[in-house]
Amino acid sequence: MLKSTVDLLTRTSNFKKISCKRLSTVAQLKSNEKLDGFRTVQEDPLKHNSEHLAQFYTLSTSEKNCLFQHGGLPKSFEIQTKTFNETSFMIREPAIEIINYLKAIDYSKPPVKFVLFGKKGTGKTLSLAHILHYAVRDNFLIVHVPWVGNWMRRPKEFSNSDIKEGFVDINIDAAAWLLHFKVQNAVLLQKPEMRLLEAVQWNSRESTAKDVPLVDLIDHGINRIKFASRCVNILAEQVKGLSKIGVCKTLVAVDGFNAFFYPNIKVYTDKKEKVTPGKVTVTEGFLNLTKFDWHNSAIVVTVDELVIAQEDQISHYPRYLLGKTGFEHLDPFVPVHVTNYTKKELISTLDYYRERRWITSYPGQDDELYSLSAGNPYNLMKLCNGL
Amino acid sequence: MLNLTKNIERIIIRNIEKQYIASYFSAPNEQNDDFKALNLKTNKSQFGPRRPLRKVKPVETRTSQMEVDQDWGSVWPAPRSFHPAVVPLPIRQGYVEKGAPPDKYANAELMKIPNFLHLTPPVIKRQCEALKKFCTPWPKNLNNQEKIEKLFPIEVISSDYCHSSPTIRDPLARIVTIRFKKSALNLNERETDKFRRLVGERYNEENDTVTIVTDRCPLKKQNYDYAMYLLTALYHESKNVEPWEELKNEADMEKYVWENNASKVNVERLFNKTSSEIPNISVYSEALVNYMNEGENDYTVAKYGEAVKQLLNLPSSTK
Repeated sequence: MLKSTVDLLTRTSNFKKISCKRLSTVAQLKSNEKLDGFRTVQEDPLKHNSEHLAQFYTLSTSEKNCLFQHGGLPKSFEIQTKTFNETSFMIREPAIEIINYLKAIDYSKPPVKFVLFGKKGTGKTLSLAHILHYAVRDNFLIVHVPWVGNWMRRPKEFSNSDIKEGFVDINIDAAAWLLHFKVQNAVLLQKPEMRLLEAVQWNSRESTAKDVPLVDLIDHGINRIKFASRCVNILAEQVKGLSKIGVCKTLVAVDGFNAFFYPNIKVYTDKKEKVTPGKVTVTEGFLNLTKFDWHNSAIVVTVDELVIAQEDQISHYPRYLLGKTGFEHLDPFVPVHVTNYTKKELISTLDYYRERRWITSYPGQDDELYSLSAGNPYNLMKLCNGL
Repeated sequence: MLNLTKNIERIIIRNIEKQYIASYFSAPNEQNDDFKALNLKTNKSQFGPRRPLRKVKPVETRTSQMEVDQDWGSVWPAPRSFHPAVVPLPIRQGYVEKGAPPDKYANAELMKIPNFLHLTPPVIKRQCEALKKFCTPWPKNLNNQEKIEKLFPIEVISSDYCHSSPTIRDPLARIVTIRFKKSALNLNERETDKFRRLVGERYNEENDTVTIVTDRCPLKKQNYDYAMYLLTALYHESKNVEPWEELKNEADMEKYVWENNASKVNVERLFNKTSSEIPNISVYSEALVNYMNEGENDYTVAKYGEAVKQLLNLPSSTK
């Protein structure tokens, strides 16, 4: 018992933040269980490398709240983190590969684009989450879109744009995203250098002056929801400008990027006419951020089958999902394949589940589950829910 | 008057009666003279002694009488439907729920298809020998496939039919097939493209062969002439450039060509150089062309990724 507590303490970098609840939960280790196999004490993604592959590390609650308070983790995973009373990511190869590249990139050159692709449920979003955790530790300014599909397929509300003819605003979603951006970059936005580079004239009465803190711009977008979509585009431009002059380095992370190019979306004009994603105002801002015409930044996007309509989910490869225009927009990019679990990763996951008392073990369990799930992480999670 | 007619009738009837009686008694006697009582309840004692069954000895099949070294060509000289007594093989065919497939006797399954059991090597040899006197010798200098293809680029295939029916004409004899290699036409890239669009699915990419089948005319000669006309027309039409062909743009391209795509512009803008000055550009463009033309799979995507890493000067693998 004492030993396990010590283990737990060493695993948590922030000693003071261990709640009493945490120490008294069901998840107590037996002294004879081996710890090193599936867990790593290294909680800093800056120091993660290929030695830590297939091991779990735990994200502290404060960081989780900062990064994923307004989305960014898949819902089923989110539920599981609540059950397990901790947010643990497995360190997997795609994330490690990109993190290593992010360390090695020459930031004076135009941004390198990474595209995470893979079949449904292989962990693209969680790889992106790991990369985001790295980015926040490495003081990147994070421009993170949790799920573009929510904007294109399930917008909260849409209305015709006032300033641009034929464009459609999704203001509530845009404002929610501004809040997400503000929460994720709360620390960086306090820096005095994060200022507006040029004045913004919203309408004849309202304007935001030059050199006010960037937070004011964001707050304006959140409070005056009518301008939220436009504010997103302006913010994108400002982020680019600030990166160019070297105030910050930026990581653009967009989950479900192919939704920006999928024509069959559920956004309509006031006359109930269907529009293409190019006619949604916020698209412009994020396409602007994924261009090559700036530097001091890196771009990581995922392409996912799940953001497009069910009948079109034919292939999981980037060219199909992005379409011709999307591919040409990103090209040249580095495709990173997120694959199913290897045997080692699967066993590590099952060990983790067993340690959390989520499943009870029986002989031959690993092989059986490996065959049943075919190594697909999502399938494995679903299968283990019933055990 | 009335009496007379009555008398005549009576005489006639009596005569007929006499005739019947005479014929009854002159009929052959029944075997059992005694009249049998009608017995409604059968009992065992009534059955007579059982006659011993006469066993019919089956005729021995032809297969059992065959010599081992018989001349098979004269047993089965031509294609015919299966006959169990002639084929000396223990063949089984068909499906039953339980047990082995039915044997060859009275097996409808076996009789459905015509078979070519006569085509054994000695018979083929014999038939070829018989046909030889109708053939001319093969030209000596045409000794390899290359020469044949070069000197006789067009292959013409037609069939003659011969069977024992009242007419000597067979409608299938009119069909003419010509076959040639596309490379024999010496077309350039644009012409090749047009030619391929014109011939459509008659072109086989695997062996570069065009096959044209003509059967719309009633006679073989006419169909052959038509096939030759088609070939000529195809050749000249693909050489011909129509004014609207100049309007072909990127979307109409049958293949991805890197030079006239957005990717080239993208890369040039990215490096701020013309494409020829960028290092590793050929690797990249090749990988991209492969990716687009071959279709997406793990291999082409990975190749593309490697090429991009080289282009952007990233280490190829970070582990």
